[in-house]
Amino acid sequence: MAMLRRAIAAGLVVAIVMLYLAGVGLIGAFADRQVVTGYLSLGRLMLLAPLMIGGYGMARQAGSIVRRLTLGAAAGGIGGAVFALGILAVLALSPGVRDVFIRFNDDLLSFALFGLEPGPGAVLNVGLGMVLGLVGASLPVVPPVVRRGLLVGVAGVVLMSGLEPFVRPRLTDFDLHDVVLFLYEDQGLLPLAAVVVFAVSALLGVLWRPARAEVQRRFAEADPGAQRVARWVAALLLISFIVTLPQLTGVFLTQVLVLVGLYILLGLGLNIVVGYAGLLDLGYVAFYAVGAYFTALLTSPTSSLAIGLSFWAALPLVVIGSAMIGLFIGAPVLRLRGDYLAIVTLGFGEIARVLFLSDALAPWFGGVQGILSIPDIIGEGSYTIPLLGEIKGPAATYYPLVAFCGVAAFVAWRLKYSRTGRAWNAMREDEDVAQATGVNIVNYKLLAFAMGAAIGCLGGAIFATHLESVFPGTFNVLVSITVLAVVILGGMGSIPGVVFGSLALIGLPELLREFAEFKLLVYGGVVMLMMILRPEGFVPDVTRRRELHEAEEEPEEDDDTADPENPEPTATAAPSQA
Amino acid sequence: MRRIRRVSLVDVILWAIRIGVVVFVALGTYFTLSAGLLSGENWRDLLIFGIAQGSVYALIALGYTLVYGVLLMINFAHGDVFMFGAMTAFFTADALAAPDPSTGISPLNANPVFGMALVLATAMLSAMIVAVLLERLAYRPLRRAPRLVPLITAIGASLFISNSVRGLYGERVLAYPQLEILQGTLDLFGIPVLKTQAVVIVGAALTMVLLYWFVERTRTGRAMRAVSENKDTAALMGIDVDRTITITFAVGGMLAGAAGVLYAIVFPQVHWFMGFLPGIKAFTAAVLGGIGSIIGAMLGGVSLGILESVAPNLLLLGFGVPSPNQLRDVVAFSVLVLVLIFRPYGLLGRPEGK
Repeated sequence: MAMLRRAIAAGLVVAIVMLYLAGVGLIGAFADRQVVTGYLSLGRLMLLAPLMIGGYGMARQAGSIVRRLTLGAAAGGIGGAVFALGILAVLALSPGVRDVFIRFNDDLLSFALFGLEPGPGAVLNVGLGMVLGLVGASLPVVPPVVRRGLLVGVAGVVLMSGLEPFVRPRLTDFDLHDVVLFLYEDQGLLPLAAVVVFAVSALLGVLWRPARAEVQRRFAEADPGAQRVARWVAALLLISFIVTLPQLTGVFLTQVLVLVGLYILLGLGLNIVVGYAGLLDLGYVAFYAVGAYFTALLTSPTSSLAIGLSFWAALPLVVIGSAMIGLFIGAPVLRLRGDYLAIVTLGFGEIARVLFLSDALAPWFGGVQGILSIPDIIGEGSYTIPLLGEIKGPAATYYPLVAFCGVAAFVAWRLKYSRTGRAWNAMREDEDVAQATGVNIVNYKLLAFAMGAAIGCLGGAIFATHLESVFPGTFNVLVSITVLAVVILGGMGSIPGVVFGSLALIGLPELLREFAEFKLLVYGGVVMLMMILRPEGFVPDVTRRRELHEAEEEPEEDDDTADPENPEPTATAAPSQA
Repeated sequence: MRRIRRVSLVDVILWAIRIGVVVFVALGTYFTLSAGLLSGENWRDLLIFGIAQGSVYALIALGYTLVYGVLLMINFAHGDVFMFGAMTAFFTADALAAPDPSTGISPLNANPVFGMALVLATAMLSAMIVAVLLERLAYRPLRRAPRLVPLITAIGASLFISNSVRGLYGERVLAYPQLEILQGTLDLFGIPVLKTQAVVIVGAALTMVLLYWFVERTRTGRAMRAVSENKDTAALMGIDVDRTITITFAVGGMLAGAAGVLYAIVFPQVHWFMGFLPGIKAFTAAVLGGIGSIIGAMLGGVSLGILESVAPNLLLLGFGVPSPNQLRDVVAFSVLVLVLIFRPYGLLGRPEGK
């Protein structure tokens, strides 16, 4: 009986989530984005996913297999039924009242009822809910290998259809018209292609773990010389991949890559401040803005200074200047306790934006109009790299940016394991104890602040020269929070984590145009969920992972938690917070 | 030896800032007043506007202070609770403002007291629900986590709530219906006061009196004070700490909802991002008054409101700065920064004895 009550509660939660997703507009926005043309759209997938997750949640409880499956199906069925009731209730409302929730238009309502009459549509919702609840409930019951295969297969299909605008032109470039015809119709995959993609990615998903284990075992058994060679080869492969990426992906994706790189750079800077030193800086955008405006002032011939330096001549001045500003701002505020520091830095960020925007300082910073005609990073628009040929467009920014990211990552990596890094670490864990053991708190805090400021303003400088203009509106608090989300998703203090976070939070949304509107919603949700469920991030820092590994004793046998597509199992892994 | 020198360097910077602020304020005030750029009436109107705006800040600030009192966390999403109340109440107000086809008068204007009570009730109820859900779903699992974790969660929650509203109700800026009886001015001992501002000041004052009575005179209020003194001891005394925390969030949410309606009377436009700035400013007000102190939040709110409307003109006009009112947010944030640096326990708070 108690279990039945839980199934009802789960069903209600599922229905509320579905109605929320519909009401907030996600379902409607993705209703036309086909995954399998004619059969499944991304909106449908999103609408149905909660049913499966509800069933999954029910089946994670104890009990016989039959009982768990039944409860899962019941939760799904109840979820579908309540959702259908909600939709019918909205249909029954008068148009004036319905307009309050702007997303519940006729298109969405008919989509929610599968384009059928209300009665059959509702019944179909209930039936599908039961089926999906059952499927979800079977996930914890089946062996982990099957589960992984299924999830990776679905992820592969979604990814392949989502990447259509980029895969299709590339395939056409390489004269693979038959492959295009086999894979795609409009935006979505053809049914047969979907099956193939599903099978291939499921197979990869199943084989990935044993293959990785095998590689790791061979690597561990190899002699040191061979290990070194293997490392170099891997590094070389990675570098050549990164270098040829703009050639492989085309102009638009390179533009996305530049954005991703920019946020990697910002994330690396903030990671030093937040992840290493444990100082929550919500005004990081101020340094980004200062870097951009400094660069604009020094390089643009039409700025108030009108010096017109080249980017590279301005760069050292900008970096040093911003680090000084970081020191100057940091000095008075660093005595504050953690949460006050966060709010003060937020205040600084807003002050910077309002000052850049104000009429009072418009003679210097241009006010609303900003500063225009900043020269691009090279000055001539294109340059030539041996083997790669002429580089122009966004790729011209891409290469210097990759270099900067590399340098920043190297600096961050070396700092982390240095005396300074350990001092920061101690300070983050317990300020009083660190001070008692001889760490000069004020100096190390200032150093972290200045490092973060220098890297942040480097990002700003590249941003300014990439866009060739700066406007005050760009530098709002949301940038700070986005960078924070990037750092948190990957894991505070983790360098690969920043790369992962930036790819997932900046790169992925760019691939789905409809997504732009919901980016901030997702960032907010991600920050909240990560803090509650997995505060160490998806790519946690090695030391911390090792600590966890030691504590658990058991190697990651049934560990799906590294899979961003499936944050669900983390509910049980939550106590792993160090 | 080196250590002492280093610390004193920071002190030097702090003293330089102190002196700079005092000189700036003194010079700015002198120049502005001696130039006589604004008349006495101008200053008086700015002052009254400041009090009206400040009483709204005070209502929001109370929510920060109450939550900080019991949980020692900054509920960054409180500004969005305020926004949610204002947005939801808009739809009630809008429905009531539709003219009756037979008489041509809208229910809101035909029966303004009842209409406003209904709008206020919607705002308070919806804001309360959001605040309680927020506590239950986002903050309660983190009760024992390190201090920054709930703060980061709150930042995420803030973004999540505001963008949910953006999704649910749209990006449009909604114009609040105006009450006919609130148009025009009121003569108060010979001083003309805009009726809207008078209503806001009186409404906020009443709400605050009610809150003060609730916290000081009721059993629940006593439980809240006990929890904010010491959670564990309060639990030993038989107080249901979880329930008290939920009630605290509920009360804070209701105050924010009421603030939302009052805010909409003065600035009759609502949109999904309206919670951010008033939220930060109300936090500033709470810190200014001494976070954790209820009287402090009221005092801090009104002071910040006045500072924000008077200071840009008083300090900057004299230096010949164009359009100083653009810089009012800078004033508010500078107050925040300065208070936190020099007097983090605020006007009425006590230094934290840790």
